[in-house]
Amino acid sequence: MTDSKYFTTTKKGEIFELRSELNSDKKEKKREAVKKVIASMTVGKDVSALFPDVVNCMQTDNLELKKLVYLYLMNYAKSQPDMAIMAVNTFVKDCEDANPLIRALAVRTMGCIRVDKITEYLCEPLRKCLKDEDPYVRKTAAVCVAKLYDINPQLVEDQGFLDQLKELLSDSNPMVVANAVAALSEMNEASVNGAPLIEMSAATINKLLTALNECTEWGQVFILDSLANYSPKDEREAQSICERITPRLAHANAAVVLSAVKVLMKFLEMLPSESDFVSTLTKKLAPPLVTLLSSEPEVQYVALRNINLIVQKRPDILKHEMKVFFVKYNDPIYVKLEKLDIMIRLASQANIAQVLSELKEYATEVDVDFVRKAVRAIGRCAIKVEQSAERCVSTLLDLIHTKVNYVVQEAIVVIKDIFRKYPNKYESIISTLCENLDTLDEPEARASMIWIVGEYAERIDNADELLESFLEGFHDENTQVQLQLLTAIVKLFLKRPTHTQELVQQVLSLATQDSDNPDLRDRGFIYWRLLSTDPGAAKEVVLAEKPLISEETDLLEPTLLDELICHISSLASVYHKPPTAFVEGRAGLRKSLPARSGSAEVVQETPGAQVIPSQDSLIGDLLSMDIGGVSAPPPPQPTSAPVDLLGLDSLLGGVPEPAVSQSTTGLLGDIFGLGTAGPTAYAPPKTMWLSSDRGKGCEISGTFSRRNGQIQMDMTIVNKAMQPMTSFAIQLNKNSFGVTPARALQVLSPLPPGVSHDCSLPLVTTGAVQRMEPLTNLQVAIKNNIDVFYFACVIPMHVFFTDDGQMDKRVFLATWKDIPAQNEVQYTLTNVQSNADIVVQKMQENNVFTIAKRNVEGQDMLYQSVKLTNGIWVLIELKIQPGNPNITLSLKSRALDIAAGIFQVYDAILHS
Amino acid sequence: MRILILGLDGAGKTTILYRLQVGEVVTTIPTIGFNVEQVTYKNLKFQVWDLGGQTSIRPYWRCYFSNTDAIIYVVDSADKDRIGISKDELFYMLKEEELQGAILVVLANKQDMEGCLSVAEVHQALGLDQLKNRTFQIFKTSAVKGEGLDSAMDWLSNALQNKK
Repeated sequence: MTDSKYFTTTKKGEIFELRSELNSDKKEKKREAVKKVIASMTVGKDVSALFPDVVNCMQTDNLELKKLVYLYLMNYAKSQPDMAIMAVNTFVKDCEDANPLIRALAVRTMGCIRVDKITEYLCEPLRKCLKDEDPYVRKTAAVCVAKLYDINPQLVEDQGFLDQLKELLSDSNPMVVANAVAALSEMNEASVNGAPLIEMSAATINKLLTALNECTEWGQVFILDSLANYSPKDEREAQSICERITPRLAHANAAVVLSAVKVLMKFLEMLPSESDFVSTLTKKLAPPLVTLLSSEPEVQYVALRNINLIVQKRPDILKHEMKVFFVKYNDPIYVKLEKLDIMIRLASQANIAQVLSELKEYATEVDVDFVRKAVRAIGRCAIKVEQSAERCVSTLLDLIHTKVNYVVQEAIVVIKDIFRKYPNKYESIISTLCENLDTLDEPEARASMIWIVGEYAERIDNADELLESFLEGFHDENTQVQLQLLTAIVKLFLKRPTHTQELVQQVLSLATQDSDNPDLRDRGFIYWRLLSTDPGAAKEVVLAEKPLISEETDLLEPTLLDELICHISSLASVYHKPPTAFVEGRAGLRKSLPARSGSAEVVQETPGAQVIPSQDSLIGDLLSMDIGGVSAPPPPQPTSAPVDLLGLDSLLGGVPEPAVSQSTTGLLGDIFGLGTAGPTAYAPPKTMWLSSDRGKGCEISGTFSRRNGQIQMDMTIVNKAMQPMTSFAIQLNKNSFGVTPARALQVLSPLPPGVSHDCSLPLVTTGAVQRMEPLTNLQVAIKNNIDVFYFACVIPMHVFFTDDGQMDKRVFLATWKDIPAQNEVQYTLTNVQSNADIVVQKMQENNVFTIAKRNVEGQDMLYQSVKLTNGIWVLIELKIQPGNPNITLSLKSRALDIAAGIFQVYDAILHS
Repeated sequence: MRILILGLDGAGKTTILYRLQVGEVVTTIPTIGFNVEQVTYKNLKFQVWDLGGQTSIRPYWRCYFSNTDAIIYVVDSADKDRIGISKDELFYMLKEEELQGAILVVLANKQDMEGCLSVAEVHQALGLDQLKNRTFQIFKTSAVKGEGLDSAMDWLSNALQNKK
């Protein structure tokens, strides 16, 4: 007998049995069978083979059976895309059923069936359901539009569902309005170019506000979130919206409260900060936030993360509420740490005594992480509130006396920061610190201690012995410690040259010859060269006066903070990261707060915008970097003033090329630079683009600028006709740089006669490219209800300068040599009343980066690099003679066509 | 008793189904999928399945063949161009094992239209002469006017009862 018997079976199997039951004439048996199928499906058995049989049970009067079949369809339609077409007719019929529950059920299920082939058949039923007489059906259909948009955005637009959805925004039933809003917001988020699909008008907003009071809590969240995306046209509108949503702050649902807070935080920006309304509103914001802290720990945590942002943006709101952030013994650790953070942010002279006694308590708790953070918090209080520094220091000393290892180490790290903030004040405690030298085993604490010893070497008698003791295990130390040790010993040598020469030679040779860490080696070489060339200069460099550290270095970067404020009550506000940083494939426009009131005319630059380029990658880097508050390690190079690094180049056999300060601290240096006021990029004054007689009463003047890394087309549109203008749209012809609108033109509509309207259109350079003459020419078509108008304008080339245009010095040299001499053009900038430093600064603000500066025979030579959005690099050399108003500019680039544009830009910026 | 109504798209299947069920002409749209209704005719209860006739749906007809007692095959008598296709679909279907015992009723529908084929012509065009071992009959009908359906159903119910 063969083995084939093992492959034959007399059993037909479960599927077979179910199939015959499904085809049974008896309704009861059929229903049981469908239930069995659903049960199998739920536990993960594949019952997709029964698709046709289950679909055949779809036309039934029994609601229960219908629901089960629909459930099956949602699950398996995707695996049987061809066969799914057999269900279409039933959907069509069910959408016309007398029972609204069935109509809604059908339209909801239709949205869940993600099969391309059948979507087109489902449009008609959906259209009917959107106009259904029953609100339950309409609200379900509204959500279905968003689902359909996810499958096929084009179809939704072509079929006019957007307009239908817009009509639902004014529906009589608040739940329908809420769902329409939710669907629209979802589609806006998903929209291809990030531009909103439907602009909210003031009238729509008014309807939303009416619906807000009547719909369910989650409906309220949808409405509030979409209000947050609306830009009121003026202060009055903003204020009236604020007034109408303020009652939502008293809602029991935390999501409603936070969403309301978000809208208020955003619109507060538009209101004059000294007005009574703003101060009343600020007072009203505190109680709901405090109430959130009495809910369960998870909600508390979310609330605290959001409060952390709110406190950074508007410290006034919670300044009197310090006590609620005091840690309770039974708080989970994540709540404790977050509360601690907020306590420090709220600490002020008024409450510091209370805060300090709390923090001292915390430092004796059992949880190590919490204790560490508490100790750091004491240090941060000292730096933040000057009057409390002395008490903080004595508290820290008390803690050091406890001899608890990790407490001591944390204390030393923060004391180093206190020294940096208040030099020559508390150095008397150094001896106490030195007693604990042997117990330090964490790199940060060791590095801090070494820094202290080096910095105050002249006051520590046995500084050389102490440092020498660390030198023994030099190669086993963490890089941070090695770098500090190197610097500290050099400092010691410069302060007490006698007897320490041997030590310094030892450390230099350890760092330069025996180490394979390039940072350490380079720093070793720099010191070596400095010391051997000119010890006097070395002293000036290494022992230079250091800037005091700023109070709150752990604040979020302002543009990021503003963006996160717009995302309050979302995951972004909990992560403290913009959504683009953690949602893959999200192409939406980044949100930003409205411009501050009273500044409508002046283009506002957000401070710090250029200090940290707004590229996603960089922000990501910054976020992933642990900026450990004020206790961040001191800049390894003890000065940020311009340094002549000449020595390094000749040491490495490079070309002698003086450089301006190139802080080796990189990003960290940038972060410390945060406190400085942000530079402003140059924007040419607006010029007339379209005169009113050519534009049939529509007058347009405009200019281009670059703000926050985005090219903006800023226009003032004046209606000089007798009738209102509506339906503005813009189109740009193909151009040299591929400039194209990032979103649709948003103009006040209708624009009443005699009214002037300012608008900005963000541009991207991803459009079609066609060479124009001149290169910067841009042909524009503007359409309104009257006609289409064409005009041409010139884009100043500097808006194409990207913020990553800083070329490495050596690459610059190599490229300069590489580009043939015939690709060099010269130009004379006349009548410039600026010295080299001002030129550097002015150009830097417009993404022209100075690579190096040197002085040759009394004249300043500047070397600058620029990168255009299309990847073209431009290298520039400037000759500036003191007292001579003419500057000679030599330019080299592989694409010389851009030269004329660059010269114009230099002329314009330097004369601005 | 399980009856299938089949035929090319636009032949009038759905109209016939609802004419049989509610006795009225209803406005129909192309059936993407199927309709199923209980029809009672002279105390006989039928479960009548009306399947869509679009090219894309025809392949799925076979999913409905098992346990079928009778097929009502509807032909648009005015659609001379596609009567050949209709014939092919009919013979292709009748070859199916599961349908060997099924009674066939052919309805030459839309007899109210001008210039349509007569019953004899439809009979000829469909090649019904070639049918062997099959209980079948052809009727001229007009679903919108309600003509001919009763005689077809009379014949069908008799044939089904005789089969028992």
